[in-house]
Formats: sequence, structure tokens, C-alpha cells
Amino acid sequence: MPKFLVRTLAVFILATSFAFAQNGRVAVMTPYLASATTRIMVDEVETALQDLGYTVDVIDTAGDLAALDARIQDVILQDVDAIVLSANPELVPAAVEAAGAAGIPMFGLDAGSLQGLTVDVTSNNYAMAAQTATYLVDAIEGEGRVLMLVHPPYAPVQKRGAIARAIFDNTPDIEVMDEVFIEVPGPLENARNAVEAVLTANPEPGSIAGIWAAWDEPALGALQAIESLGRGDEGIVIVGLDAIGPAREAIVGDGAFRATVAQDFVGIARTVAGVVDEALQGDDVARRTIYVPAALLTRDDLR
Amino acid sequence: MIRRFGTLLGLIAIIATFSVLRPDTFMTVPNWLNITQQVSILAVVAFASTIVMVTGAFDLSVGTMASLAGMIAAAAMQADLGIPLALALALTAAAVGGAFNGFLVAYLRIVPFVATLGTLTMFGGFALLVSDGSTIYGRAIPAAFGGFGRGGIPLGTIDGRAVLLPNLTLVAAGVLIVTWLLLEHTGYGRRLYAIGGNRVAARLAGVRTRLALLGAFVASGVGAGIGGLMLASRLASANPTQGDGLMLNAIAAVFLGVTLSQEGEPRVLGTLVGVTILGVLANGLTQLQIDTYVQQVLTGVIVVGAVAVGSLRRREA
Repeated sequence: MPKFLVRTLAVFILATSFAFAQNGRVAVMTPYLASATTRIMVDEVETALQDLGYTVDVIDTAGDLAALDARIQDVILQDVDAIVLSANPELVPAAVEAAGAAGIPMFGLDAGSLQGLTVDVTSNNYAMAAQTATYLVDAIEGEGRVLMLVHPPYAPVQKRGAIARAIFDNTPDIEVMDEVFIEVPGPLENARNAVEAVLTANPEPGSIAGIWAAWDEPALGALQAIESLGRGDEGIVIVGLDAIGPAREAIVGDGAFRATVAQDFVGIARTVAGVVDEALQGDDVARRTIYVPAALLTRDDLR
Repeated sequence: MIRRFGTLLGLIAIIATFSVLRPDTFMTVPNWLNITQQVSILAVVAFASTIVMVTGAFDLSVGTMASLAGMIAAAAMQADLGIPLALALALTAAAVGGAFNGFLVAYLRIVPFVATLGTLTMFGGFALLVSDGSTIYGRAIPAAFGGFGRGGIPLGTIDGRAVLLPNLTLVAAGVLIVTWLLLEHTGYGRRLYAIGGNRVAARLAGVRTRLALLGAFVASGVGAGIGGLMLASRLASANPTQGDGLMLNAIAAVFLGVTLSQEGEPRVLGTLVGVTILGVLANGLTQLQIDTYVQQVLTGVIVVGAVAVGSLRRREA
């Protein structure tokens, strides 16, 4: 057993010990790498920082915030030069505080809060949710029952749900029939199952006018549910958010999925990499939130 | 000797390897205090799980119970009920949840795997219900509660940085001592081992097996609740799913500990070794900059390997 361990470790150490810092070492920490959008941002920030001459460690804790807290403590003890955090810093306050005490700057990659960070680069979730909710209201001519697919434990998504709900509640002839909690991981399948259940419980054509999803994966799940139950000709309008590849493809088709919002994930990641580089090169970096603009993408835009 | 203590020797080999490869950062006082803090929450849940597993049963609901306890405490604090009442409510709920598990297993004779799989989902649902799915954080969590998870007893300074013996480490040590005394030095502990050996024989020998099992599940629930409170304090927040991942690691730690037992029984000191292996691996592999997913595979391989070696040893004995 000990021999096995030593050999196994030796293989991995040899494989990883060739990397060395040139400009410095940056740890990119997230519990959400399984999310398609986080993956895009993390991959991009990793590439951008490597291009700038940094050694980058990407650490994912698979949804586990306690493990995120622990791994941040680990990289602090290793004296990394900077930490990029793709999670709300308010959920790991001890680690953020420890980084501050150790003099290691932290930068938010769509973190959603500036607490303890030097800079957070993100999209404006309130604005994006307003774009899709308003589009949905217009598409169903301000009338009918709307189903919301939400995930409030993740703060940026919670913000989206709050603003969309406010817009629907402020439209007199729209009734929010339910806010369905979509579990993560597995948002697409969970949303499909949930929407199938709602459709089955509401068999009359026209009983559901629209489905507002807080991000694209549940929207795709809703689309699958509508198609699998043969309800695609009822004019139900689905909107998502994030403009991931499969969502763009679905919107271009003739199905119910009609619009999403393209966050500039590459822009967010490159902005973070640039700010990290500025700070580590000794430039003064003002503490602030940087919002990268996002665009509504409809079927007409994509075609 | 090597066969009996193979897992312990494996731990020593792992520590030696990391010490050689990362001499400046691994074998340091701050890092070891960091590791004790990091494993403290898992340790408490694993110690409590040991009590149930001694009887030959499982409690799969410890993770969601930890989430639920954290959510109840956070929601109570958000409602300005104060920290003591919030903690009392959370631990009461944990005890009631544990008792419900015990009732299902001991009195309705539902297989523990099935019963606690059901309550796992139930407690997870309650955790979501408490805050309507939202995370409770920020000003809703009193500074004293969040400060406890971050604080500790000052030990001095190293390289100009304050070194603390973490409060969470002390809590875990306390739970370890209580569990060890309960299992190894009380009649109740011996009765639990008797149930694990042969439930029918234990009953015929006069052990009130149902009541003893019920008690074990209550202890498991309370342990999970304490773990959930420690997690909420450490993160100064409560998320309806934040403790869910504890269950598999807790069971893995107990199984790793079983490999140290001559009789193949769970022992709480063995569980401590199991928890330490998981904690040291996570910390050391991160320091070696090994890919997160490779870490996960490697940890799984080591757990399976250790348990397989222990199983072969017992078969040969």
C-alpha cells in the first residue's frame, strides 16, 4: 500500500512539476466548473493568464463551499501571487479574510459581490433578467400564465429571478403559476422532468403562455419537455439566459425557445486576466465592480 | 503488523511524501492547524456516523441533516431569535430527525439504507423549504456566530502571521472524546457493538436492541447537526445543500478506519485516521498542484485500495 501510494504520487508529481512561474502564480478557484458558462470563463482566464506568462492552477470543488474554503486556505499557505474567485466571496468569508491578511489580492470572475475582492468583473444580472422577462412579456402580449425555473441558492441567479418576478408581477394580466426550483447538477434533466410534470397537470392548450428560465440549461430542458409531450404547436414561449451553444442552436430552430442573453464570458475572463496582470505588475487598480455589457439574442438576431 | 496497521503506515507514507515534496509549506505548524480546521466538520459527522455503523447500520441522511441544521440556525438568526435559541432549535431538529431515522429502522424494521435514503431526501427538502431555496448570508448572520468558525486560541506568531488553534478543531476534539468514551468505556457502547455483532444474540442476551439503535441514530443526527452548525459558522452563511457532500466522505472515513480494526468493526480512533487521510490527501495534492479531478480519482483509489487490503487480510485471518 505505501509503495503504491508513493509510486502513484511520484507519477503525478513528475507530470506536474515541470510547470514553474514566470510572472507569478495565480490560483483560479470555483465550485461551479461543471456549469457550461463557468467552464468557458475559467478556460479563457486560464489561457489569457498563461499567455501573459503566469502559471495558473485551476481548482474546482464540485459545488462544495466548505472544500472551496479549505482549498483557498491551502493556496494562501503556498503564497500564490493572486487568487481569481468564481463564486460569491460572501459565502467563503473566512478564506477571503485570510487572503487579505496574507496580502494576496483576490479578483472576482463573475463573483457577484465585491466583498474582500479587489475587482469583480461580471455581467449585470438584474439588467439581463429584465431583458429576457420584458421580451417574454412582449412576446405573449402581456397576457397569460408564466412558469419560472429558478435556482435561488446561487446569488447571481437569485437576482435574475427576483427582477423577472417583479416584472411579471407588475404586468396585470400575467399570472406566475409557479417558481420551480431547479436542482444543480443536472439542471437540464431536472427542468425537463419538472416541466413535463407541469404540462401534464395543465393539459389544456394555452394554459401556459411562457416559460422564463434563469439560465439556458433549464430552458433547454423545458424545450425538450414541450417537444416530448407534443405541445410544441401551442405557442408557448421559452426564454433562457447565457447564450450557450445549444441554446443558440435551439433558438435558430422553429421550437418554443425564442430568446436568450449573450453574456460576454470571453470578455469577462479577459478583463479579469488584464486586471490581475495590472495589479501584479504593480499598477494601481481601483477597487470596483466592472460590468461587461450583455446583449439580448432573439431568433431574428441569430438567423 | 504491517497488514494490521497498513492504513496507518499508508498515512505516514503519504505525510512523508508530501513533506519531502513540499518541505516549505506542508510540514509546517500553520498548515497542520489548517488541516485540522479543514477536517473538523467532516470529523464530527464521521464520528457520529461511527456510532450508527457500529451497530451494522448506515445513516445516509447525515449530509442533508447537516444542511438542514445550518439552515434552521441561520433562519432563526435572521429572525432575530438570538444565537443560543438558534443553536438549540437546530440541534433539537437534528435530534428529532435522528430519532425518526431510529424509529424507522429499530421499530418499523425498515432496512437502514432504504429508511435513511428516504429521510436524506426529506431533510434536503426541509432545508430548501426553510429559506425557500435561498442562501442566508451577510447581515442575517451575527458576527459572533461567523467569528467563531474563523477564530481560535492564539498560539503566537510565525513569520509575522498570527497562529490560532482553531475553535472548530477544539469542537471536533471534544466530539471525539465524547464519542470515544461512549463507545469504548460505557455499557451502552458495548451494547451497540453487541448489536453490530449479532442483533438477535444481543436481544436474547437481554440488550434492549430497539432502544439502543434509536439512541445511536439520535447521536448520529445530533452529530450531523453539530457539523452543519460548524459549517454555517465557518462560512458565515447557510446554503440548503452545503452539507450534502459530507455523507459520502464520512462513510469513506469510517470504512478507512475499519481497516485498522482487528475485528473489522468501526472504531472512532480508526475513523480519526480515516478523516486525517482524506484531509491530508486533499491538502497535499492541492499543494502539489495536481488537477482537482485527478485528486478525486486518486482519493477514491486509495479508499478502495485500503478497504480491499483490509478485506483480504480478514479473509486470510
